[in-house]
Amino acid sequence: MEKQAYIVGVYDDEEPLVNAAKKFKEEGVKIHDVYTPYPIHEIFEIQEVKSRLSIAAYIYGWIGGLGILAFMQYAAVLSWPLNYGGKPVNSFPSFILVTLVFTILFVTIMSLTTFIGRAQIFPGKTIDIIDPRTTDDKFVFVFPQEGTDRKKVEELLKSTGASEIYDR
Amino acid sequence: MYKTEVRGLLVEGGKTLGDVTRDIMRPLETRSPNWWRVVFGFASLMSIWGLYSIYITITQGIGTWGVNNTVGWGWAIINFVWWIGIGHAGTAFSIFLLVLRQKWRTSINRAAEAMTVVAVMCAALFPALHMGRIWNFYFIIPYPNTRGPLWVNFNSPLFWDFLAISAYLLISASFWYLGMIPDFASIRDKTTSKVKKAVYGFFSMGWLGSTKEWIRFEALAFILGGIAAVLVVSVHSIVSTDFAVGVEPGWHTTIFPPYFVVGAIFSGFAMVMTLMIIIRKFYNFENYVTDSHLGAIARILVFVSLIMGTAYLTEIFVAWYSGNKYEIFTFFHNRITGEFTPQFWAMFISNALVPQLLWIKKLRNNTTVLFIISIIINIGMWFERFNIVVTSLSKDFLPANWATYHPSWIEVGIYVGTLGFFTLGVLLFFRYIPMMAMSEVKGVMKFNKTKAK
Repeated sequence: MEKQAYIVGVYDDEEPLVNAAKKFKEEGVKIHDVYTPYPIHEIFEIQEVKSRLSIAAYIYGWIGGLGILAFMQYAAVLSWPLNYGGKPVNSFPSFILVTLVFTILFVTIMSLTTFIGRAQIFPGKTIDIIDPRTTDDKFVFVFPQEGTDRKKVEELLKSTGASEIYDR
Repeated sequence: MYKTEVRGLLVEGGKTLGDVTRDIMRPLETRSPNWWRVVFGFASLMSIWGLYSIYITITQGIGTWGVNNTVGWGWAIINFVWWIGIGHAGTAFSIFLLVLRQKWRTSINRAAEAMTVVAVMCAALFPALHMGRIWNFYFIIPYPNTRGPLWVNFNSPLFWDFLAISAYLLISASFWYLGMIPDFASIRDKTTSKVKKAVYGFFSMGWLGSTKEWIRFEALAFILGGIAAVLVVSVHSIVSTDFAVGVEPGWHTTIFPPYFVVGAIFSGFAMVMTLMIIIRKFYNFENYVTDSHLGAIARILVFVSLIMGTAYLTEIFVAWYSGNKYEIFTFFHNRITGEFTPQFWAMFISNALVPQLLWIKKLRNNTTVLFIISIIINIGMWFERFNIVVTSLSKDFLPANWATYHPSWIEVGIYVGTLGFFTLGVLLFFRYIPMMAMSEVKGVMKFNKTKAK
């Protein structure tokens, strides 16, 4: 994998990181990416990233639920109607449990697939680790070297309490 | 906002973020302790007995069990319901507390989910073996086949059971694995061993911890958590319909679904307590699984125990109030008194009475007492299932059909075997997977500071 050149600013704690992110936004400097050891909701808001995964899951729920109802209708009523103790062939109330469980199963499988597809996460993926300490206890801002006002970025990083600034 | 004054600190001992990674990774980096090897040996022996019993069951048939025409469901179904109950609470614990945004789940959820996955696998073994012809197992899957196509009966609780358990296992395992991805990445970046770096790196799926990854990760965790919460309730309700749709006295009641769900949560929380005390004691995680964590589980146990007691008394009251002589016979002359008296009172005392001791703060703060009570609850819950399965079946409407039931060594062997499999699974989990969700523990560390301000 080809490594891109970055300016990396390292913070030791969440609080200065969030304040710094706000400051960068005020100054109109775009942060390319933030790497943190755990999710920080303030950063999501400042960076204005959103996930539409729950909308997708809602749609999957409808597809799965209606799909399994249609399938049971086909299997138990059209394809091979069997008389179970005189119950109606299309015994809708007792189809509900299967519908519920299958819908949940379908939503899970499809949401996982969507997550893997969108986040591009899969076993054995080759990656470019910017700073290995971000999965431990460091919080990192990353700016591409090209097209960034280096002086301004470094100044802002220093004034907001970054513990390290380095090129990579 | 999290109130440390009410719950106590989530992580004690003034730990930093780096300490969390180091502490939780330690069991993976060091040689496994001696007790681990000894228990592993014992569990292997138990598993071998279990495998032998399974071999005999498959090659010679259900005739090797103690079940008969009257008591057609013996230990197999008791153990099935018992294991699935234990398997329930792990995810229930993790997911309900996630959806309710309870911060104290973070040190416990990983172990609880591991317990779930292993217990559900043990549970699934029993109905599969009980089918008799396990090699025809795939008949229960509805797919276009050359047998007609003959479809399964979508009205049957046994089919619902199959679907519910498969879905539950798959979702619990996915949820568990999803939570591990960031932790595997931590190990990948921290470990010095090349083998570990490669293996954990492979399973970390290229996790970096960028904002976009985290937001999608959280969205997915909430989707899986939200829908699995429904599943937790529905799976054990479905298990209860296996009984409730039967016309046996003592089974044919509408109280069964909530009664089973609560029972499952009860036994599972007790097992979580057992496991957390072991983890805390043997791996020195006192700073992560604090007294306030154990206290919180204990308080839930007291509450659920009250519900259990109410359910037992409701059943007995309804049997009497209905005036139905078969119900009255089953509850008053076959459980409270009669042939199965010891089993009934073992259930009642250990589930409804003993946990009430936890009202006393002194006992609640004593780890040994908590450990003993959690074991008693698990035994009591086993007897609950014994009562339901065996007493109702052994003496039904026609005295000419009455029979009693004793398990054969093969049945006992399969049960001991699953205990062995479970122990092996948990031990492997201790050894190779971070026992607590590092990223989540780190995420709640900031709430420790609220008090200092």
